[in-house]
Amino acid sequence: MIQLSYLDYLAIEGKSFFHRLSPGPKIIGMAIVLLGIVILRNLPGLILLYAILLTVFFLAHVPMKIFSLTLYPLIFAFLFIFISGFQIDFILLVFLKVLCGSTGVVLLLATTPYPLIFRVMGRFLPPIFVIALFLTYRSIFILLKILEETQHALYLRGGFQWRYPWRSLVNISNAFGHLIIKGIDASENMYESMMLRGFKNKIHYRGE
Amino acid sequence: MPYAFLKEKLMSHLHLPDGVLPVWLWVFGFVVAILVGAILSRFIKKEDLTRRLPLLGMMAGVIILGASVEIVPIAYHVNLTVISGILLGPSLIFLATFIVNIILALFGHGGITVIGLNTLILSIEGISGYLLFRLFWNVLKRITPAVFLATFIALFVSTSAMIGVVSLGISHYEELIHQGSKGVFEFKLLKEKVDQHEGDKEEREVNLKRFIAVVLPLGFLGWLLEGVITTLIARYIHRLRPDLLRLERETS
Repeated sequence: MIQLSYLDYLAIEGKSFFHRLSPGPKIIGMAIVLLGIVILRNLPGLILLYAILLTVFFLAHVPMKIFSLTLYPLIFAFLFIFISGFQIDFILLVFLKVLCGSTGVVLLLATTPYPLIFRVMGRFLPPIFVIALFLTYRSIFILLKILEETQHALYLRGGFQWRYPWRSLVNISNAFGHLIIKGIDASENMYESMMLRGFKNKIHYRGE
Repeated sequence: MPYAFLKEKLMSHLHLPDGVLPVWLWVFGFVVAILVGAILSRFIKKEDLTRRLPLLGMMAGVIILGASVEIVPIAYHVNLTVISGILLGPSLIFLATFIVNIILALFGHGGITVIGLNTLILSIEGISGYLLFRLFWNVLKRITPAVFLATFIALFVSTSAMIGVVSLGISHYEELIHQGSKGVFEFKLLKEKVDQHEGDKEEREVNLKRFIAVVLPLGFLGWLLEGVITTLIARYIHRLRPDLLRLERETS
């Protein structure tokens, strides 16, 4: 999750051609990638698509550290191996489809700040939905800060130790409980601040 | 070890990836998710929704954080959908799971095309968790068994829903298996060799039983662990902020 703030940093601070490109064409590009994933049913086509995405990934100077994120959905795709009866061609097909999708979205996120993506989404999604997306995005960073503080407290209380599994589970659960209560308190403060600033069910973008 | 890796991430539920399910299925998922969202939003007043938006955002953030923070020694990712469902109620938890799936998909966790289906699966967990908690609380009047049973059963229901969704795509997987075998790995077999390889045909069939045999035992461990963690979280909240659980009406 710490990578979310790093992704955000990369998207804002990146200087490559892809970072400078406006979000519209990048989202259209992502839609084309998704179309390719849905339509392509042969290995050469998917290998080519993946190769293109990898080339763009490295041309956009996205650090290798972020590349591991693109491999994460393979965990879920792994289960489909059991459905197929271990057919290597089917497994490769599924893995490549999954990798193309995840590489595409991570590339989009690492080169485009979240608020700009939400802004494009706001053109065809209900406003309340886009506000909820923004508030969730903001909340994640508030929660990350609370979690960081809670981790210290958790460590001082013994953290997680195999010798004391029950106590460890209680510690972890209390940490999450603390996170939720602090989060709810922060959400109440956030609502009051929004009202004081004249919030009227609309997010205003810079330049509007 | 890949098996251990799988076990760690999979125990409570599964986020379906892109490109695996048939088009009709994920389009259907979007349509149903939008319809359910529209129906549920009718139950909330607009002012009430505006007032609770920051809470919704915060709880969606908690679910995302829970799904992304690893409890290092046991490498488990908590789910927190049931506790969020209990705190938010059925209408808001649906919107929260929609938001969670969009952000997770943008983050590379789960697919974009399957946001609708993933939302339905995850919201089944949150909504059934809320309803079951209310039911068990009314019957048992004790927080620990009420939350544990609600979480365990809600996770079982959502895992079953996920298996149901995966099983709906059987004919599509068979098609992919056969098309895959005609791809770059195609070999022209001699006539006599065809009969010899008839036995392979059976192996090329989709095997849903094997899939279920892997998912359910791993899921069971996840439901237990998630049940314990959710119960402890609920007890913590009940101790410090009982008002959040809105239990007063039932007890009075």
